[in-house]
Amino acid sequence: MSVIATDGLGKRYGRSITALEGLTIDVEPGEIFGFLGPNGAGKSTTIRLLLGFLHPTAGRATVFGLDTERSSVEIRARVGYLPGGIALYDSLTGHDLLAYLADLYDRPAPDRAELVDRFEFSDRDLRRPVRDYSRGMRQKIGIVQALQHDPELAILDEPTEGLDPLMQRAFYGILDDRRARGRTIFLSSHVLSEVERVCDRVAIIRKGRLAALQDVAALLARRKRNVEMRLDGPPLSLEGVPGVSGVMVRDGLLTCHLEGDVGPFLRAIAGAPVVDLTIEPAHLEEAFLEFYAEELGLAPDRPSEGGTHIGGEGATGRRLEDDRADEAAATSAGPRR
Amino acid sequence: MSRALLGHTLRAQRLRLAAVVLGLAAWGFFMPVIYSQFGVQFKQLFESGVIPSQFAQFGEGDVFSLAGAIGLGFIHPIALLLNSILGVGFAAGALAGERQRGTLEVLLARPLSRRVVYATLLFATLLFIAVAVAAILAGNLAGAALFNVIREIDVARMPILWLNGVLLFAAFGSIGLAASASFDRLSPALGVTLTIVLVSYFLEILGSLWPDASWLQAYSLFHYLKPRDVLTGQVDLFGPGLMLAVIVVAVAYALVEFPRRDLAAPS
Repeated sequence: MSVIATDGLGKRYGRSITALEGLTIDVEPGEIFGFLGPNGAGKSTTIRLLLGFLHPTAGRATVFGLDTERSSVEIRARVGYLPGGIALYDSLTGHDLLAYLADLYDRPAPDRAELVDRFEFSDRDLRRPVRDYSRGMRQKIGIVQALQHDPELAILDEPTEGLDPLMQRAFYGILDDRRARGRTIFLSSHVLSEVERVCDRVAIIRKGRLAALQDVAALLARRKRNVEMRLDGPPLSLEGVPGVSGVMVRDGLLTCHLEGDVGPFLRAIAGAPVVDLTIEPAHLEEAFLEFYAEELGLAPDRPSEGGTHIGGEGATGRRLEDDRADEAAATSAGPRR
Repeated sequence: MSRALLGHTLRAQRLRLAAVVLGLAAWGFFMPVIYSQFGVQFKQLFESGVIPSQFAQFGEGDVFSLAGAIGLGFIHPIALLLNSILGVGFAAGALAGERQRGTLEVLLARPLSRRVVYATLLFATLLFIAVAVAAILAGNLAGAALFNVIREIDVARMPILWLNGVLLFAAFGSIGLAASASFDRLSPALGVTLTIVLVSYFLEILGSLWPDASWLQAYSLFHYLKPRDVLTGQVDLFGPGLMLAVIVVAVAYALVEFPRRDLAAPS
């Protein structure tokens, strides 16, 4: 049985605003499932529907086989949730906050000590009021409160926002441990590199619709690697080598794309006067952009080097940023009172 | 009801509750003192015509009898202000305030139904009101006992007055909590509730001071508190019944509305 299953799930506000439309996904037990999309795409709306904060206007969703509309309390008893941009009870100390939020589950919090330790909270930190915490500390304590009771399913909305690289690494370690214990993680993010690093599968959502649902490893395996090779001699012919395309040679520098098995390529260059060779690892961002460029209405340009945010600096990133304005109304989920 | 949420709420409000209790007890103590020390002089002043006689009927209280002084203490703006800090302020902010701060979703991510959260906060509101009204009455009794006028009232009727006072502020508190369950931000919830309280108060005071407008009093919940009548043995069940009806309607509305509404992401 799937841990999360949605069937044509949708949320509309009035007649004009569609926050989510026809979402059908399954999240399997023990999997880390990435839920990816630019801000305003419908990620938070989906999460709020799963937790019963919002009522669907179309389709249905189940968590642990329980209907999110009818059994919301039973579902939440087995879920840990980190909201995006978490707000905390600022007057409480870190220790009191964790104790209070655990008490609301009416069961022990067996993982609290370990999580506190892995996030390097000192006893002194936990005795300070939360209002004195930095953004990173707030995020860390937000993660601790979501996971301290060892939930079967953790729903984490932008979990690494504000975490420094060391703490991000600690967080990824925590996720790996939880996966090893058979726990399921539903991780919403707009950081592709994060999803690439930790997720088994990824769903990409855009303008409230599911744009793609892929196995991360399979997606990366289909990625064309970028090859740069400096030669000290005549140009090398790579014509007919399986997986090689886009060969260009300029001033002794050969560049090409390499897809699939690297064996034929390595055999082809054996004995050639190669003085330097770089094969860039396949990144999810590029794989994603190549694979779904047409479907998402993006130019199939190569994104900026090292940019890992969907809405990053590159040309394609700008394209997605532009979409955000249209989607902002839908995200905030409806009429405020 | 959630014990953890109730405990957290009580701890968070304990200093405010202590300040309100002290303030109301002191105010309650003060009223019998004014009556015992200055009641006669006040009566002479009113009889001399220096102060218009209608002012002796402010909110249907007076300072010429202990029952009247206790009644005046209840309806006086100072008592209203102190009672409203928790009875109205806490109630109106209980859900809308958490929603505005973004902490409501942390709370509702726990295995608590919205009705349980509402019921717990309603219980806390009623508890604060019960303690606050008891504080003013305790102050009344202490002042009356210390200045040897306690025999002028039937102390056995004080619990009825306490119940009337609790019902009055519980009616406003339940309206505040219903407003709190309906809005995403504190200001409209507080604004709606304060408007109802202040309009109700204005109608009662205007009607009590101006005979031509006395019909307006029937539209004020304060009119049905009647502390002087309760202490002098005149019991009218319509008032408490009306206040109870307001509470039932407000609670029923909130119990339907709060679980039904969408809680969008905080902006």
